[in-house]
Amino acid sequence: MKKISYIDLLKERNRLKTKFENSNKKVRKVGILSNIIVSQAKEIFEYYLGINDINSSIQVGNYDNVLQDSIRFAKSDVLCILFEISNLREGFSYKAELMDKQTMTELIKQTKNEILTIFNYLKSCSMVIWNMFSALPFRNSNIKQSKLEIICDELNLFVKENAPQNFVLFDTAKLYSRISVHNAVDWRYWYLSKSLYSIDFFCEYAQLVVPVFKRVFGKTKKALILDCDNTLWRGVIGEDGFNGIEMSSKSASGRIFEEIQTIITTIAEQGIIIGLVSKNNPQDIDNVINNHPDMIINNNHIVIKKVNWLDKTENIQTIAKELNIGLDSIVFIDDSDFEINLVKGILPEVEVIQVPEKLHNYPLLLRDYLPNFLIINETAEDKARVVMYKNEQKRKSERLAFNTIEEYLKSLELVLTVFTDNESYIPRMAQMTQKTNQFNLTTIRYSESQIKNFVADSQYSVIAINVKDKFGDSGITGLAIIRYETDFAEIDTLLMSCRILGRNIEKSFMDIIIDTMKRKGVNRITSKYVPTKKNIQTKNYYLLNGFEVKEKQNLQTTFELKIDNYSFNNLTYIKIEHGK
Amino acid sequence: MENRIKELMAVVFDIEINEITDNSSPLTISNWDSLRHMNLIVALEEEYNIEFDDTEAMDLKNYRKMIEMIEKKLT
Repeated sequence: MKKISYIDLLKERNRLKTKFENSNKKVRKVGILSNIIVSQAKEIFEYYLGINDINSSIQVGNYDNVLQDSIRFAKSDVLCILFEISNLREGFSYKAELMDKQTMTELIKQTKNEILTIFNYLKSCSMVIWNMFSALPFRNSNIKQSKLEIICDELNLFVKENAPQNFVLFDTAKLYSRISVHNAVDWRYWYLSKSLYSIDFFCEYAQLVVPVFKRVFGKTKKALILDCDNTLWRGVIGEDGFNGIEMSSKSASGRIFEEIQTIITTIAEQGIIIGLVSKNNPQDIDNVINNHPDMIINNNHIVIKKVNWLDKTENIQTIAKELNIGLDSIVFIDDSDFEINLVKGILPEVEVIQVPEKLHNYPLLLRDYLPNFLIINETAEDKARVVMYKNEQKRKSERLAFNTIEEYLKSLELVLTVFTDNESYIPRMAQMTQKTNQFNLTTIRYSESQIKNFVADSQYSVIAINVKDKFGDSGITGLAIIRYETDFAEIDTLLMSCRILGRNIEKSFMDIIIDTMKRKGVNRITSKYVPTKKNIQTKNYYLLNGFEVKEKQNLQTTFELKIDNYSFNNLTYIKIEHGK
Repeated sequence: MENRIKELMAVVFDIEINEITDNSSPLTISNWDSLRHMNLIVALEEEYNIEFDDTEAMDLKNYRKMIEMIEKKLT
């Protein structure tokens, strides 16, 4: 596929965006959910959809919140889900191998529950593209399956059996095989920012799923119009004669056309309109179609024929009229530069494919294009499979899926451990103030020595929380710094790492903070929200916790709360412990 | 070269080119997070046909260092 440099892609995407804004073209809502960082997909998707004349606004869900976000994103026009096996739990790609059998069984069961819950939330979404699990980036032995691979197989099977009908299953392994793992994965992204896929991966992925988007937005191809000489067979009927043209395995180049005719027959049987447009004597062409022993395509497959000496653009327009289909739903294949450029120039809506000079690439080229066709007739087998899956799905979803987010959170067995003024976590706490952007109310950056002073100073409380669930420990991932004044206390800093969001931990954390202040005899609390480009999600955090707005100044909002007015959340599914 | 690098940074960080100064770093540009940093690395590698290992990539976190490192790689 064509390669554009990343910088040119970004610029072109910006240009397209401005163009769309001025044209009032309908904006398509597209969501991308993942349990790893995939935000670089936004611009890349907008570019590839843009060059296909689809104006999209891509929204990327929160890190590792696939289940929680599937409610919020259910109204998307198209939703892509990249559930990455390697981050099923922190460090899972390498920890899986050492995991004991019971934990593993438990984790697989839990993941299946999560998947089913996602399926339930999204079964009415207009289109969901689900990436199948793949362990390929993690270089496994060729002769022995790793645990990671076994889990992938088991989960993929489960997905195939249970995915609702509006789901398209995208085979990620095929993408790896197209561009190689080496190009699809950038380990620097992985270790630096919990992102695994390279820019190349997203470019390839976007191009491969564009046909799905086209299908949703009614931009599919319905008809394939073909030239005959050197397009359906090797040779020119008018010159080489009935016995001189080749389209069978008797010769190497004939074999290529046998394959081409087979592919065309297959899509004809799936409901694609096949037409011929050829500059020839009609009797010659009819004779080949009716009588040539090597012809695979026959009159049952060919819906319309324009064999004459007229301009091909004229013939194509007539076909569009007669069949009552739009020019933009027609694909035209020809071997001649002249015809291809003519159609391109006069009927730009028609998609053209030129038979490649290197003939051996012809079947691949056609195969790559097939997803753009609207396949109407499913085979009986396909239909039976769908019914089978649906029954299976019903049976399993009754047994497994969570009914509510709370039920899901409960199953995680979350434990928060509170560390107040703890010296050993000073480096981690300083690091969090420097690195955390999204859930950070004031975004004040502190050095280790500053944090050290706060820990030692009785005018401050420094509260860190550790989060773990039954599958693993996320470590110290939340921090609050409280400063005590004579008649009130101020929440100077409040932040949480994005990897623990979506679990209602922020509610329990507020309980913990208020409780700490209560014990110190505080009556009145003030707090601030200082907006940045990243922390918009915390804008209403204090309001949701019962604080009132005291003052708004230079974008920053100051809140106040009388401590007795606070109602504790006391979430039953988050256990709170105090550490030493 | 410096102007071109500023242009790349502006496009990757989605900011105006005049927001970038000699002292620019993740502390002065809020869009310069670890992910966009890697995106910038990829853009620089493509532009100059060079490669950074992970320590170098980590080390490039201000504008001046970036210029120096690229000049060194190109000579």
